[in-house]
Amino acid sequence: MIIDVAKTAKELKVKLPDLITRPVGRMMYAATIEKLSIIGAGETVILDFGGVKVIDSSFIDEYIVKLIHDSREKDFYLKLRNISPISEINIDSVFNSYSNYKDTRIAVAREEIGKNNRFYIGPLIEHESDIMDYLRINISAGIDDISRFSGIDFNLLKSLLDELSILRVIRRNNGNFTAV
Amino acid sequence: MSVSGNIIIMPDKFRDPYIFENILSMQEEIFSERASLDMSRVAFMEPYSMLSFLIMGRNYLRTSGEKLKLINVPIHIQQYLTRMDFFENGAFNMPEVLKDNMMFKRNVSSSRLLEITMIPNKERQSVNVISSVIALFRKRASIILKYWMNDSVTDYFVTVISELCQNIFEHSLDSGYMAMQTYRSGNENIARLVISDSGIGILKSFSGRDDLHYAGAAELIEMALTTPISSKREFGYGLCQVNSIVERLKGVVFIRSGGSSLTALYDRKDTNSKHIFHRNGLVQFDGTQISISLSA
Repeated sequence: MIIDVAKTAKELKVKLPDLITRPVGRMMYAATIEKLSIIGAGETVILDFGGVKVIDSSFIDEYIVKLIHDSREKDFYLKLRNISPISEINIDSVFNSYSNYKDTRIAVAREEIGKNNRFYIGPLIEHESDIMDYLRINISAGIDDISRFSGIDFNLLKSLLDELSILRVIRRNNGNFTAV
Repeated sequence: MSVSGNIIIMPDKFRDPYIFENILSMQEEIFSERASLDMSRVAFMEPYSMLSFLIMGRNYLRTSGEKLKLINVPIHIQQYLTRMDFFENGAFNMPEVLKDNMMFKRNVSSSRLLEITMIPNKERQSVNVISSVIALFRKRASIILKYWMNDSVTDYFVTVISELCQNIFEHSLDSGYMAMQTYRSGNENIARLVISDSGIGILKSFSGRDDLHYAGAAELIEMALTTPISSKREFGYGLCQVNSIVERLKGVVFIRSGGSSLTALYDRKDTNSKHIFHRNGLVQFDGTQISISLSA
């Protein structure tokens, strides 16, 4: 499912191009959750931020962070599209703070390559980034293929793939892994 | 300061947040004297001093039921204060009113500013005001930020304005004000965003957080600025995000709350010299006052 974030904002009479403040984040979250009520298990939800210039950390906390938590509980995958450079910075900052102080990480896949030269936003380590890049290019791969490409110790690789699956930035399908 | 009858002559100390401490130290006397304030010696007023002065006037109005009276205001100061909508907020009495043809024109060439806007302490009203302020800022950004302009600076400031204004209704339990202006000081062009309230202040806001340990309120202000602590929820990213943006822009953050202040000079950080300064034991002035400055 593709959620046109700007269109949702217009439906709620929220002024664009900026999506800011917690109350706006809460309104947008409620409207989005309603739209997501019909999605199937394991579906990818693309949040398309085309037409949105700035999302601030309050909005990110009320909207994207909550949707990431929901994706884990309700079994769907989240992916961002058309994220502006400042929004990328703000999302990255919120995710880093969250991960530093909460002892658990959050990250999200994105469609276009970002300013960080990656297809995700969030505090992933170098090996995890390499795996994400590999899956992005090769679409789908087994653990043996990834191990050969990356040279990462097999047991370490297994735990990294588990962790990326838990973060829901990659999918696990019958022993293979795919990019979201 | 000199006092004559019930007139207090105000010194020319409205030039920056540090010098303005002189005016704050006069507050008790101004309030107890119920004096008129003679502004004849004031040659310059920048946005932080203006908003703090406005808060002082509002505090006086709230406690005494009367407006502070300004007399002998130099024409250029009166023109400036009128242009910034200082008198629209009804905290001051000013006997002399300038003729219309002596006022600054409200046209594009005098739009290097955002006039004083009250940020209410009610969530819904506040969100609408913040949205309007940001829309106005986007219209004027190319003029306000003329000396710093690139694709991202406007968007950075949208984030900063949004986060700081939200803190008023989220944490201060009172309404506040915001204003922004680019002005020239010596050889420098300075863009200054100011957001001020007279609410409970940072120290009281965090009074329920027994897990936080700090030597003084200035140290707590630093924690609030540099780590995602929150007095209301598990995390608060707003001030942290503001801090990282100002650092990226090599600007200056000044935060004063209660009787403490913090200055972060990110324009000096590269020199490896100390860039964060604390001050405790200042004159008590309710609420939180924040100034974000860029120089060029």
